Parts: sequence; C-alpha cells; structure tokens
Amino acid sequence: MTRTSDKPSKKINDNKMTSSIRDRSQIVIILGIYILMILFFFILKPNYLSYDNIMTILLATCVNGLLALGVSFVIFTGGIDISVGTVMTFSSVMSGIALNNWGLPLPLVILFGFLVGAFCGAVNGFGVAKMYLPPFIATMAMQMITKGLSLVVSGIKPIYFTAAPGYQNIATGYFLGIPGFYNAIVILLVIAVIAYIIFSKTIIGRFALAIGSNEEATRLSGVKTDNWKIAIYSLCGLFAGFAGLIMSSRLNSAQPQLGAGYELEAIAAAVIGGNSLNGGEGSITGTILGALIISSLTNGLRIMSVPTELQSAIVGLVLALAVYFDKRRRINE
Amino acid sequence: MKKRILALLLIVSILAFVVGCQQASQDQPSQETPQKPAEEPAQEPAEEPAQEPSSDEKPYVAMIALGYGHQFWQAVRQGAENAAEEFGVRITFEGPEEETMVDKQLDMLNTALSNNPAAIALAAIDVEAVTPILKDAKSKGIRVVGFDSGCGDEAESHCSTDNLQAAALAAENAARLLEGKGKIGIVGHSQTVIDAVQRVDGFVEKIKNEYPDIEIVDIQYGDGDHLKSAEVTKGMLQAHPDIDLIYTSNEGACVGAYNGLKEAGKLNEVILVGFDSSAAMKEAIRNGEIAGAITQDPVGMGYKTVEAAVKLIKGEKVEEFIDTGCYWYDASNMDEDHIAPLLYD
Amino acid sequence: MDSKVLEMRNISKSFPGVKALDDVSFDLKAGEVHALVGENGAGKSTLMKVLAGIYSKDSGAILINGNEVKIESVRDAQRLGIVMIHQELNLMNHLTVAENIFIGREYKKKFPLFLDAGKQIKKTREIFSELNIDIDPTVKVGKLTVAKQQMVEIAKALSYDSKILIMDEPTASLTDSEIEDLFRIVRTLKEEGRSIIYISHRLEELKIISDRITVMRDGRYIDTVKTEEADIDDVIKMMVGREIFVKKQEPFKNEDAPVALKVENLSAGRMVKNVSFHVRKGEILGFAGLMGAGRTEVARAIFAAENYESGDIYINGRKVKIKTPNDAVKAGIAYLSEDRRRYGLALGMNVDENISMANMKKFSKLLFIDFKKSFTNSQMQREKLDIRTPSLKQRTKFLSGGNQQKVVLAKWLTRDSEIIIFDEPTRGIDVGAKNEIYKLLNNLAQQGKAIIVISSELPEIIRTCHRVLVMCEGRITGELIGDEIDQNTIMQYAIKRDINNGRLSS
Repeated sequence: MTRTSDKPSKKINDNKMTSSIRDRSQIVIILGIYILMILFFFILKPNYLSYDNIMTILLATCVNGLLALGVSFVIFTGGIDISVGTVMTFSSVMSGIALNNWGLPLPLVILFGFLVGAFCGAVNGFGVAKMYLPPFIATMAMQMITKGLSLVVSGIKPIYFTAAPGYQNIATGYFLGIPGFYNAIVILLVIAVIAYIIFSKTIIGRFALAIGSNEEATRLSGVKTDNWKIAIYSLCGLFAGFAGLIMSSRLNSAQPQLGAGYELEAIAAAVIGGNSLNGGEGSITGTILGALIISSLTNGLRIMSVPTELQSAIVGLVLALAVYFDKRRRINE
Repeated sequence: MKKRILALLLIVSILAFVVGCQQASQDQPSQETPQKPAEEPAQEPAEEPAQEPSSDEKPYVAMIALGYGHQFWQAVRQGAENAAEEFGVRITFEGPEEETMVDKQLDMLNTALSNNPAAIALAAIDVEAVTPILKDAKSKGIRVVGFDSGCGDEAESHCSTDNLQAAALAAENAARLLEGKGKIGIVGHSQTVIDAVQRVDGFVEKIKNEYPDIEIVDIQYGDGDHLKSAEVTKGMLQAHPDIDLIYTSNEGACVGAYNGLKEAGKLNEVILVGFDSSAAMKEAIRNGEIAGAITQDPVGMGYKTVEAAVKLIKGEKVEEFIDTGCYWYDASNMDEDHIAPLLYD
Repeated sequence: MDSKVLEMRNISKSFPGVKALDDVSFDLKAGEVHALVGENGAGKSTLMKVLAGIYSKDSGAILINGNEVKIESVRDAQRLGIVMIHQELNLMNHLTVAENIFIGREYKKKFPLFLDAGKQIKKTREIFSELNIDIDPTVKVGKLTVAKQQMVEIAKALSYDSKILIMDEPTASLTDSEIEDLFRIVRTLKEEGRSIIYISHRLEELKIISDRITVMRDGRYIDTVKTEEADIDDVIKMMVGREIFVKKQEPFKNEDAPVALKVENLSAGRMVKNVSFHVRKGEILGFAGLMGAGRTEVARAIFAAENYESGDIYINGRKVKIKTPNDAVKAGIAYLSEDRRRYGLALGMNVDENISMANMKKFSKLLFIDFKKSFTNSQMQREKLDIRTPSLKQRTKFLSGGNQQKVVLAKWLTRDSEIIIFDEPTRGIDVGAKNEIYKLLNNLAQQGKAIIVISSELPEIIRTCHRVLVMCEGRITGELIGDEIDQNTIMQYAIKRDINNGRLSS
C-alpha cells in the first residue's frame, strides 16, 4: 500500500524539477546579463553600487515596475495595454480631486485612486472582450480618454496633496526609519510578491496564460474567457492605480500632463524580462528583472554623464538584443 | 443590443461624472489665483463678432496662441485684454487645446480672418503652414504681429521673451549665489524645442564668458517630466557629488530636481535655480529650498503684442523685435506687485 | 541500376530530451513514389523536415544525384528541387490561386515594382493543364475546397520545377473521388520523372500508389520493401511491433437506456438544416458523410461554439438553453474537435494545465489553485488513459497526436461530461494509438456515457458505432442500425441530395 502511494508523489517531485529548470534557464540568462551590466558600471564608476545609489535605482524602478507588472498580465493573454501610463495619471488626478474637492479621508482617497485605475482597466477589458475591439485600439482609446480627462478634471494644473500631510511619506518616507530605504521600494516588493502569487498560484494567472496560449480552446473548455479578460485588464488598471499612488506621492502632486510614454517603458520592461508579446508564456520574475534592468541601465548611463540622447538609443539597443536572444532561445527549444 | 446600450450608458455616465468634477474643481477657491480669469470654452470668441455688431467702430485684433488652457496663455490673455481696454480695441483670444494641433490652429486663423480683423497676432505652431495665409491677409491690409513662438517673416513685429537673455539673468543670479566660484549641473527639459535650447545655451554662454571660476560639470535632460527629472538629478549627484548648484530650464525640470534633491537629502547642500513657476515651486522658494527662479512676463507679452498691433493699425513705427521681459524672483520679492501676478500655480 | 536522385545517409537529430532520428538512411529513385510509414513520433516528419531544410541535422549526409549537398534552409532545399507539401496547407486564403503559386517570386513588368498579373495567370494555367486540373487561377484560395487547395500546393511545388516532392498525409482530408484525382496527378508527376516521398497512415492507399515502402519506428529505420511484394499486415507489424485486432462493433444491447441528448430541428447557417436526433446513455452514435456534409457544424452548434438559429436541445429530457460553450460544459457536454491544435489544446501549456482547464472550479479555492488536487487527478487520468509523456509538466506541443487526443479526453473526463462528441477522434493518429482510442470509446460507453463520433473514415464508423446517422449537405439523409451499417449503404445515403430542394434553388 505504502509503496503504491509513494510512487506518484515521487513522480510529482520529479515533474516539478524538470519544469522549474526549464523556466529558470530563461531567468538565469537575464539575470546573468543584468549582473554583467552592474559589474560594468561598477568597474567604471565604483559609487554605482553605493548604498544611496542602489536605493536610488530601486526607487526609480517603482513606478515603471508597477506598471510593468500590471501590463504583464495583459501581455500573458496575448493582449496589450498602452493606456497604463495615462490611467496612472488619471487615477492620481482623481485621488487629488477626492482629497481636495470632496475632502475624503486619506485611506479612502488612496482606495478611490485604485478603484479609478481598476475601473479604467475594466472598461478596456469590456472593449476587448465584449465589443471585440483589438486590444491595441481599445487601450489606445482609453489612453486618449484618460489623457483628456486628466487635463479636463484638473483644469490643466497640478493637483497638490498638501492637504494630506504625510502623503509624500507613503513613497519617500523611510521604511522602519532606515535611512534611504524608501517605503516605495517595500510597496513594490510586496506588490511584486502579490503579483507573483496571482500569476503562479491562482486561476487568474492560469487563465491568463491559457487565453494567451489558445483562447478558442480555452473558451471551448467552458471557461468564460470574456469575463476573465475583463478581470485581467482590471487587474492591470489596478496596478496602474498603485503606480499612480507612488507617482503622486513622490511628487506630492498629480501632474495631469504626465503619463504618455510610460506605457512603452512598462512594455519594454516586460519584454526585456523575456515575456513574449504573443502571450501564453512569461514570468513575473522576468518582468521585475526587466524593470530593474531599465532603471539600472539609465541610472548607470546618467552617472557616467552619457548624453541624454545616447541613453535612449542604448536602452533601445538593449531592448532589441533582449528580444533577439529570447527568440534564439525559443527557436533552439 | 443590450450591450451596446450598456456601453453607451457607461460613456455618458463617465462624461457626466467628469463634468461634475470639473465644476467642482472650479469652485475650489484655493486653486484660483487672483489674476486668472475664469475658464471659458474656446469656441466662445468666435461668436463674439455676432454679439456686438454695433460696436464695430473699435478696431478688431484677433489673437491666436499656441495653446489655450495653460495658465501661461491665460496670463497672456489677461495682458492683452488690459491693453485692449487701454487702447480701445476689441480683441478675441483663441488657441488649440494642445500645442501640437496645427490643423486646429489653422482653422482658427482662417475663421478669424474671415471676420475682417484690423490686425492679427499669432503664435504659430507651424510657421510654414501659416505663411501663405498671412501673406494673403497682408495683401488685404491686415497687420500681422507675432508673439511668443512668432509667425515667421511675415510678422511686422515680434513680441516674445528673449530666452537667451532670460537664461543669462538666471546665470547672473546663480553666480551671485555661488559668490563667483563652484560647480553647476544643468537639468534641461528638451533638446529640440528652440526655447528650451536657448534657456540652456544662454546660461552656459554667460557662465563661460564671465565667470571663469564656475564650472558646468554636467548637462542632462528629463523631458520636463517631474519623475524623470528627479531621477536625472539623483544620477547627476551620484556622478558629481561635489555639485554646488543645479540650474533647471522649466517647471517640470525644477520640481523634479527639487524632489530629487529632497530624496537624496541634499536640499540644504545644493542650491537650486529654476525657471517658470508653479504652486510647488512658489512654496519651495518661499521657504528657501529653491533659491529663486526666472519668470517670463506673459501679462507683459499680451500687453505689448496688442500695443504693437494698435501702433501698426495707426500706421506708427514699430520695432521688429520687442523683448517682453523676464524677472528673477525669490523669497524676497515674490510678493511684490510687479512679480506676484506673473507667478501661477 | 536505377539512378538514385536522393540519398540520405546515417541522419541523426536530437531535440532536448529526445533522440528524434537515430542513424536513419533513406533513398529515392527517379520517377518513384516512395512511401514513408510509421507511427506518430516514429520520426518520418522529422526526417522529411531535415530534407526540406526546416530542421538542421546533427550528423549524417544528404546526396542529390550522387553529390553531397548542404541544406540549411527551405530556400536551399527549393534550389535543389525539394519541396514539402505540409499536412496543414500553407496558403494565403485572401490571395488568388495564381498569387499563391508565385508568391515571393512574382513576375514583374519591365518597369520595376509593377506585377505582371497576366503572365502569372497564364503560367498558372499552363501548370494546371499539364496536370489536367480544372481550377480558375483568379479565384481566392480561401474559396476552394481542401482538395483543390492541395492541388494548388502541388502546382506551386511544380512551379519551382521541383524534382522531389514530399507529401505529408495528402489524403487526410480528401473524399474518395478527390483521392482518385490526387492519385492521377501523382501518376502524371511520376511519368515526368519526378520523385515523390509519400507519408501516410492509410496503408490501403500505399498499395495503390507507391512503389516502395520504408518503415520507421521510434526514430529508427526498420526496413524498406517493394510494394508489390509487401503484405500490408507485415507492414503494420513492422510499424507497431505488434498485431492489430480488427472487429465490427457489437449491437447496442441497452435499447431502453434513457435518452441523454435530444436535438430537435436544429438549424445553423447553410451547413445545418433541420437536424433532429437523439443519443442514449451508453450508446455510440456515428455521424457519417462526405466532407462538408455539415457534421462538424452540428457538433459546434450544439456546443454553442457557433450560434445556431433555431432548434431545441434536451439533456436527460429537460430542455436546456445553450448559448455559450460554458453553458454546454455545464450541461455535461464535451466536444473534442477535429482540430485539436486549434480548438482542443493550449499547446504552450503543459499536460496537467490542459487536463485541469475545464475544471478549474474543482481545483481551486477562492481563486487559489489546489495544485496537489489537480496533479493527483492528472496523474490518475494519465495512468487510466495511458498518456505517454515524460512528465505532466511536458508542454502538450511536444506530444504525439494520439497522446494529445488523450489529454483532451482527460480534460473532459475530469469534468465528468456525460455526453462526449468526438470529431474525427483519430485524425493524425497512428494505427496503434487508434486502437487504444477505440477501446477508450467502448469503455466510456460501457460506463454509461453517451458518445457521438463524427468520422470521415468509414471503417472507423463501422468499427465503433452502434447506430449511424448519415448527413448530406446539411441534412440527415439516413439512419442505420446494427447490420445495416456497411460501407456501401453509408455511401448511398452520403450522396443522397435533396432533389426537391435542388430543383427549387436552381
């Protein structure tokens, strides 16, 4: 009896081994490239790895990292969300309105910002799933809508959070009073872990991949793919709301004209992290690594006083190389 | 069908919601500044000629700006209206909601011209596109004045801030704050927009020519994006920990640098000099965290533009270029009468 | 001695974890049809993909007319006169026949960039007349039947002046008369001195069309025999290494079993007209007919994969409304599509994930996946259905057709579906695995599941079904029970067109 029951469980362990090795190879490659890059900068500029600068890099990763996490889920489904940047701005503008005009208490203000983000995401999802708009078009519409609404609602002026003392500390306060260790970094970390759990432990992640892998087969398995798509786009919007909180907290204001361009950096992070834009595969760890690579790279280039115009070109080159190596790995597979 | 109705309802409710918000934000007194007129829909000026046909003894000056919603343009409008009252002319003031909408601006220009103005004042988005229209207008005897970005060679007079001069003024003040010696980093906001380039060039020229003991160690650009500018500033500090002063070329760069310094804990060590204004900048300047900044004089720009137009209509001689001026402001003078109206939130 | 146009010597090829080809040799003579047979996963396709420049070999040599050549890309192969016609045709549906044939090397006019469409159409006509095919070169490929599309593929291959054609399962989706046409073309090609490598599971066909048969198994070369001297049974034995048991389906004993699914007056589009039928628990109901008779469309309409216009569906006597596949699944209906790769599996996902797909509610709590539960179930299904995979974490794209089919079946068995619709259950599946699938069908029926089998292979229908419905042009034209089920009768009904209707519409 014991022998027969032992056998399958042993098999399960074997199986786990093989899969994690496969998934890990990709992460290891990206991690290797990342470490090489860090060493490169460290040798040229030793203060690149100073405590202060590491924290600077991590803080700089927060907004893009959160956006990239959200957009990753959409990318897993084979979709795309180019509205995350402006949805982020819109959610922070609405938070500002909730604080200054409606006088809501701070926790509600923050929650409201998240809800606005999630709502925008849900509308994206509705457009994609129920109105059959291509994701690019649906989210481009949302990008324009939120961009416009942010300007209209704010009256094209920054909205300040000075009415809520301590708002700025949400992002730039020190965690447990450790100097330089910003709360935002902890928030990113916690949310990244949550994203990881959602991705690998819940049916949201499972269905995101299933839809990306073969939407029709998933639908024909009786899965309500439409509803799941709405849920996944909402999740992406929610993450944009998180990013909006960090952004507005760092600036202690909502800047209505910001946001455009952030979506591309977020998508770039997801792609550098090895996530295929075709959907059906990918990893949250990769996305976070991708976001770290972008912020570490730009920081390093800045420290070396590389002209701004060249910085952009170099990031573009890294993006192209990342995708190239990923493609090669896939072909070999 | 049901779904379509649902979608429609959704859109309508969002719009209703937003309009509600907007009104709410206008009611908010703390967001208002005394010199800023209440917001008006951009279409309204077009209707004005019809409203007052009886008063057409007054010469009509049509002003078309690069943008409309930004406070800068509203301040220009304020100055223009002051001048209109003083010189007894009627003006309309329009501008597209974004500073890239060439076609909208062309529509506005054509509409304005069809109302037979005595003069047209224009800050063109695309000079090439407006040149033939302006030529045509001039042939009908309409006088043409450029302001801010101007409108090319067709302008009989051009009223704008001399950004090179303004940047030099910033450099003078920076040198004064450094007592003639130290290291400067620059956070710019664009490498392509001519105004932005001049704000950096003018600064660099002045320092190089007149202050040999001051060194400019780094120039980086943050697109005027607050967050990016903060990261740029922090990177710069990491690369050059001995920077004494940071000069920034617009509001986004300045507030970004301010946040960067704050996050790096260097607000007290590094002097910050800015450009333009906002509520955040004003507050930081008032409590000394930002040493000071340059502001343009949009009210003066509006005033001088109308003044030039009136002179042209009367056939008087007008200078080809009119500097509409700029000011250095800091904690000591920002509440003075000639400065306060130029600063916006 | 016959001249060898092609020789492949000691070819080996490995994929991560799999030795796909192990020291395989193969040769081809001028004007010969050389059949390549073997179970799925035997390495035939891999060998041919090496030849066609899709895969690169690890070791070995390829000789064309006695000279060693390098084939590193499809272009290289084309230059050497080798073209592969894939099972899944690679045509652009939106382009015309002529455009498809000359895609990538369009005739240009003297003035650059302008296409010479006239010349292209003329050339296409020439090739068609050579093959005695009647297809309009200006028609969009998407409007052609699969058989005609295949002929376009052949014409395309000839337009490269190919000396060696590789045909992968060319008859898989053709009707008998279409197969006749194909064979006629193959013979024409032979007479012209071209050589053909013919991959097929249909051994009866090989007897008719091929000159020699090479058998592969498990990535190895087994033997080559002359067709005229070969005994099909021997070939099968070489393929599977074991005897195959053939038997007609026994009559359905439980005539009084409750009706599991009843469909009344179902109509959907042009392909399903007023279809009514029922299937009892424990019964295997067959849907026979020619290609395009509307059988798949009936299944898809019941499953709500496509909308149906009218009709009532009763499950266990209760009328149900099925508007989405989700409703169908909830009602206990499972649908195993003829096109597993498109409609059945998420190929990038692993075996476990696919098996659990239709049943995530059971395998999760508050959105969190119960991995152990799902894994245990998948493991059980794997053993029960004998799914051969190195691991439950193996991605399904690396499984053979038969094992893929079993994964899809496992998905539905996990869901406890009571009504299971198999659409071409053994398409692309090798002989040995076919028998396993048939055994599974019987087992499921004995467990009381209502089974519907849609198949274009008459032997399959005869072998598996208790009762057969024959469709023609969207209507059910006949019902056969027990002894009535035989190939001739089915064919009679399958071509029984509705004369009245025909008159009215013409």
